[in-house]
Parts: sequence; C-alpha cells; structure tokens
Amino acid sequence: MKKIIAISLALVMLMTSVFAFASCGSANKIIVQTNAFFAPFEYYEGTEIKGVDVEIMNLVGEKLGKKIEFVNVEFSAIIDNVKAGEVCDAGAAGITITDERKEKVDFSTPYYTSVQYVIYDKNASLETKTVDGVEYIVWDALAGKKIGTQTDTTGWIYTDGEINATASNDYGYDGVLYGKGSTNTNFDTAQLAADAITANQIDVVIIDELPAQYIVSKNSNFKCVPLYYSGADGEADAPVEEQYAICVTKGNKELLDAINAVLADLMKKDADGKTEIEKMVMKHMGLN
Amino acid sequence: MDFINKIIELFSTEKYMSSIWLGLQTTLIISVLAAMLGLILGAIIAIVTIAKDSKWMKIPKLICKIYITIIRGTPMALQLFIMAYVVFAIRGFPQIITATIAFGLNSAAYVAENIRAGILSVDIGQTEAGRALGLTSRITMIKIVIPQAIKNVIPAIGNELIALIKETSIVSMIGMYDLTMAAKIIGSGNNMASYIVPMAVVAIFYLAIVYLLTFVIKTIEKRLRASDKR
Repeated sequence: MKKIIAISLALVMLMTSVFAFASCGSANKIIVQTNAFFAPFEYYEGTEIKGVDVEIMNLVGEKLGKKIEFVNVEFSAIIDNVKAGEVCDAGAAGITITDERKEKVDFSTPYYTSVQYVIYDKNASLETKTVDGVEYIVWDALAGKKIGTQTDTTGWIYTDGEINATASNDYGYDGVLYGKGSTNTNFDTAQLAADAITANQIDVVIIDELPAQYIVSKNSNFKCVPLYYSGADGEADAPVEEQYAICVTKGNKELLDAINAVLADLMKKDADGKTEIEKMVMKHMGLN
Repeated sequence: MDFINKIIELFSTEKYMSSIWLGLQTTLIISVLAAMLGLILGAIIAIVTIAKDSKWMKIPKLICKIYITIIRGTPMALQLFIMAYVVFAIRGFPQIITATIAFGLNSAAYVAENIRAGILSVDIGQTEAGRALGLTSRITMIKIVIPQAIKNVIPAIGNELIALIKETSIVSMIGMYDLTMAAKIIGSGNNMASYIVPMAVVAIFYLAIVYLLTFVIKTIEKRLRASDKR
C-alpha cells in the first residue's frame, strides 16, 4: 500500500512540474493560430511558416515588445480557439469578417479585399460570361455541379447557403442553387479539393482568389475565374467580395489596438499608389 | 512520366527534403515514446486485470475495465482531439507531449488485452505443476507463466506497434508537423500543388519504418522460439 501511495505521489509531482514548466515563460509571448495552407497569406516554406499574416503579426510583436509564436491548426478550429483564449491570443489566417464570427471574436480593421474564385477543369463544359473583358461565372451556372470547398471557409459558408437556403427554413432567404441538384463536399484544404477534381470526384472548387491562382499556376489542366452574383434585371452582376481581418479574443484591447495601428501604417499608399500590404502579397506570390 | 519527374523534383529539392526529415523525426519520436508508455501502462493494466480478486483489487480492477472499454470503444482521432483541445488546452503546452500521451494511453488498452490473452494462453497445468512443486504463486508467475506468455504475446504486440506507427499519421489533424503533414505541405499550393506525388513518397517512408520494425520483431521471435520443436 505504501508503495502505491509513493508512486501516486510521484506521479502527481511529475504532472504538476510538467504543468508549471509548460505555463512559465508564455506570459511574454503572443500565440497566433493559423492554417498554413493559404499561400500567400501563410504557408510552410520547408519547415517554417511564412506569409503576409506572419509579417504583419511580427510587426505587431515588435510594437508590443513581445515574441510572436505561430501555431498551425485546422482552419475550422481557429475561431473557437481564439474565442476561448486559452491556447492562443489571436488568429491570423486570411479570416473573412462574417456576422457569425463577429459574435465570437473581435476583428481588426480589414486589410485585404478578396473575391471568391471557381477552379475547374479546362476541358469541362462550364458556362462563363465575359463582360468588359472580365471573364466570370455566376452562381446559376453551377446548378447540378458537384462543388468542393474547404471546411468552414467563406467559400463553404456561401455554397452551403446557396444550396440549402429557402425562405421557409432557418436561412430565411432563397438560395440560388436550392433544389438544383448541386452538392457541397468538404475538404481539409483547397489543394485537396483541387486534387479531387483530377480524381473526378467533384466538378468545381470554390476558394478565395489568391490561393486559387496559386493552384492554377502550378496545374496546367485547371482554370479559374471569379464568382459573381447575377444581378437583378438591368443590374450588372457583382463579384462575391469579402474582407480579411485578424481576430483576437474578445476584450483583448491592447493587442487589437496594436494590430490596428500596424495595419493603419501598412495600408498607407506610397508614391506608386500601392500599399505595403499589396507589396507583401506580391512578394509572397513571387511576383516582385 | 510526369509522375517520375515530380518524384525526382521532390527528392532533389532541399526544402522538400527538410520537410520530410522533420516530419520523419516527429513521427518517430511520437511512435517510440507512445510505444514505451503504452507497453509500461499496458503491462500494469494487464497485471491488475488478471490479479486474484481481493478487497484491495476491486476498485483498481473496475477502473481498468472501464478504461479499456472507453479507449477501445472510441476512435483514436476523437481521443487525440479531446487531449489537444480539452485536457491539455494549456498555453504553450508542447504538442509532442499531448500526442505522446494520447497515443500511449490508446496503445496501453490494446497492449493490456494482448498481454492478458498471452498470460491466459499458458495452460493452467503449468501453474498447478509449479504450485505442486512447492513454489509460491508469485514465483510460479514470474518463473514459469510469464516467460511462456511473452513468447505468445510478441507477435500481437508487434501488430499493435505497427498499427500505432501508422495511426500517428492523424496528428496532422491538430497541426503537428509529422510525415503526413510534410506531404500535405509539399503538396500545397505554393509548392508542388498536387498531393498525389508527396503522399506516395511519404507512404514509402511509412512502409520502410514498418518493414524495419517487422524485421526486428521477427528476429526477437526467432530467438525466443529457438528451443521450440515445430
């Protein structure tokens, strides 16, 4: 019996020391969660996470005199982790501001405007429109198609809405693709979804502009065009736009103010009419 | 042809190889630590579950039974998720420890059942003979039953270790940089922009690790069976 007590005491001490070890030294650190499959905003270069969001957060760290640590997690986990605030302080992953997310976390000022793009096989018959030299696709053209998206991204949220929404259910509006036989398949990353096109599992992928262009530039079989809402009679079609921001745990005003100050600096236009953010995007796209 | 070119590109690019190298290290570290934890804890659980009934053993036995039921009855992916986002949701807690504990606890339940089966597979006549010769039940267990049981248990334990190594591939779910994650990163948009080639290459790495382990287990088995007339 004595032995058992001794062993359990030793175990308890070991556990407490591990906890103490884990919790020390993190007070002076800002932990930022991301999903490093979203080039050029965040991506792995070998074994290191790089990208526009990383540069922004490093500037924030300099301003506050704290170390920034990036942690790679599933995209769908970031908002909830930031909301809880236990394992991280902020999320920087090209996160679009939506009303549902706003209820859970605080967003910084938006720093980039993106458009949803559709990736599809070059040889597939997909009806696109061209207006003023811009080729695009409208939601109606995706009727009956198998659509692939990355789980919990805005592409997924929009597609889910268009397919499942009618005025009579919880969504409260009429989805363009409701009852048209379209399906929405979830993937962990946009790249996995793109591979599923090659494997004939789905027809199109809906994902943000820059990742879409990245994927298409490396695969000669793919093509991508922006996604538009078809306008009402007499109105022009409008692109599916959204704005990226960095999110922090609700009430963390110090960090939010620092991020906003850094973003305000970076959003200033220089002599060429380009903001620092745009330059960073170009740099990480390799288009300098 | 494109496939072969891409394989060559993967092996000749330094940043891809550094990804795979880091991934391989993580996979091996988690596997080895989890296997050790699993074997030790599994042996303890097995001993508790086959111990004679007495008033002291009632509660430990019940705990072990519930433990094995829960661990074997829920998917590994969910256990890992709970470990990472509920139990060890502590700032800056090293993920490698989270993963090691999650896989170690999982492995322990299976190892315990394997060891229990091994000990029970030794004929009761062996125990009776030992007791008839005047050995205490403790000495009978250590000198007669366990040596025979180990021989029966090794193949099953080897099986469990192989399953453990391959199962570690799900740690990429909590963002850890293991071999599968390396494949995902190499296949992502800014690198090769196709998962197919890196996944195939990483599969070969897993195969190599498992093959090596199988070889070691086979050797141990042969040595243990050296005196068997079969």
